[in-house]
Amino acid sequence: MSTMPVAVVGVGNTTYGSLPQHDAYGLGSWALKEAVADAGISFDDIDGLIVNRIPDYQRFCECAGMDPSYVTTTPGHGRFCGICIETAAALIRAGMATTIALVYGNDGRSAGARYGGAGDAYGSGGGGNWVAYGMTSPGAFHALMIRRHMELFGTTADQLGTVSKTFRNHAALNPNAVKRAPFTLEQYHASRFIAEPLHLLDYCLINDGGVAMILTTAERARDLRQPPVYLRGYGMATALSGSSFPPEDFWREPMRRAATRSFEMAGAGREDMSSLLIYDNFTPTVLFSLEGFGYCGVGESGPFVAEGRLALGGRYPTNTSGGHLSESYMQGWALNLEGVRQIRGACGERQVRDCRFVHYMTAAPVVTSIIYGGAPS
Amino acid sequence: VSQRPLPAIDGADAPFWQALRRREVRLQQCSGCGSFRFPASRLCPHCREEESRWAAVEPTGVIETWCVFHKAYFEGFEVPYTVIQVRLDSGVRLFSNPVGVAADALQIGMAVEAVFDDLTPEVTLLKFRPKVSVASTGE
Repeated sequence: MSTMPVAVVGVGNTTYGSLPQHDAYGLGSWALKEAVADAGISFDDIDGLIVNRIPDYQRFCECAGMDPSYVTTTPGHGRFCGICIETAAALIRAGMATTIALVYGNDGRSAGARYGGAGDAYGSGGGGNWVAYGMTSPGAFHALMIRRHMELFGTTADQLGTVSKTFRNHAALNPNAVKRAPFTLEQYHASRFIAEPLHLLDYCLINDGGVAMILTTAERARDLRQPPVYLRGYGMATALSGSSFPPEDFWREPMRRAATRSFEMAGAGREDMSSLLIYDNFTPTVLFSLEGFGYCGVGESGPFVAEGRLALGGRYPTNTSGGHLSESYMQGWALNLEGVRQIRGACGERQVRDCRFVHYMTAAPVVTSIIYGGAPS
Repeated sequence: VSQRPLPAIDGADAPFWQALRRREVRLQQCSGCGSFRFPASRLCPHCREEESRWAAVEPTGVIETWCVFHKAYFEGFEVPYTVIQVRLDSGVRLFSNPVGVAADALQIGMAVEAVFDDLTPEVTLLKFRPKVSVASTGE
């Protein structure tokens, strides 16, 4: 087995927004064709395929004319983005496949996917006992969590608003972002409450789109079109017991474990990171992630973000694409593409100078942590 | 009110819902380690014992957190309404609604006691109000 890290050699994405003429298969195929071209390979070079949120691997392979050696499909939960990438890296290292395509297609906006209420298929799992009390939706779950954080640590709505506003400013520099018009904190406060204390502008977008990534061995990556971007470190941890309810520690314990593993594997630490990518389904997860992955102390994330550290030009420019809040709701995938492109130095106006390491992280019952780097060691 | 979404009262948690009709809180209790759980599961998540019984518990607990819904996800609810997360003294967590207390008066750790709210002839909901302090009535 190779000791060299696995590399990302191709990335591709669709436009983002309302794309009612495409289903998840079409969006995934579109993104994969872009990624294949970006890598300078052919579809026939792909011997492993993991599809995410695309309902059926068989139909997808039929659509794209693919017969990979390895194939699987994964559910459309945001936490699966990191799971897919880490699994693909492990498969490549184990020799199960050499070149794996990860393909995501999301037609949720046009298909009317619900994230709460009677038709909800996301985030209210096992929630049948609570609908009679009006409890539903991932957003309300995070509202319950941030209310407790506010009560325990004095975290404020202004601090949440600063996160959202900062990512919107980044999206203003991203031509493919869905929401690009900057807003003020006053406008943040004026946006309507959904599940108080969360406002509309604390919530991610719901839009259609597709993303694809191609991973291969470091040896093979050397001969391809793009400079390889290496998966220098990765880790996973879960806190699924009792996870129908918010965790008392805001998922700090699983985040600590995933962080330790990924930093050790990368041979790099927090101080080496040039930019962060934080799964921002709602603004509170950004705060929980910063605490859990150790970028600030317990309860200190509010002041930490208020001081401007997450902005381009700050110490840890975060979600430079605009993230789920403003670029696109690609459930982690578009954030990982941004990481690859930042390391390549291909981000134009929003490029982080001298970008050497980027850290992707999630705060959820399944925590994933991925560190991208431009050098193999 | 009849358009409100209703819980499935005839499934594995039927003893819980039947007990609420009788103004009791009954939870599945592990015959091995004695811990309580809800909703029902075959194995005790703590010790993996399969034997269990439905036991009455104190209808009291504390508020852990809350949020206020401004979006109407369901028919039969008037917004805004408040959802609380309660940890019963038995250790089991529930989502519920507060009775007789405004959202801005809620506090983490506030002691609460059960209010049995008959939603339909079959379904009684378990809601909570601030616990009346015995000590404060003394002097």
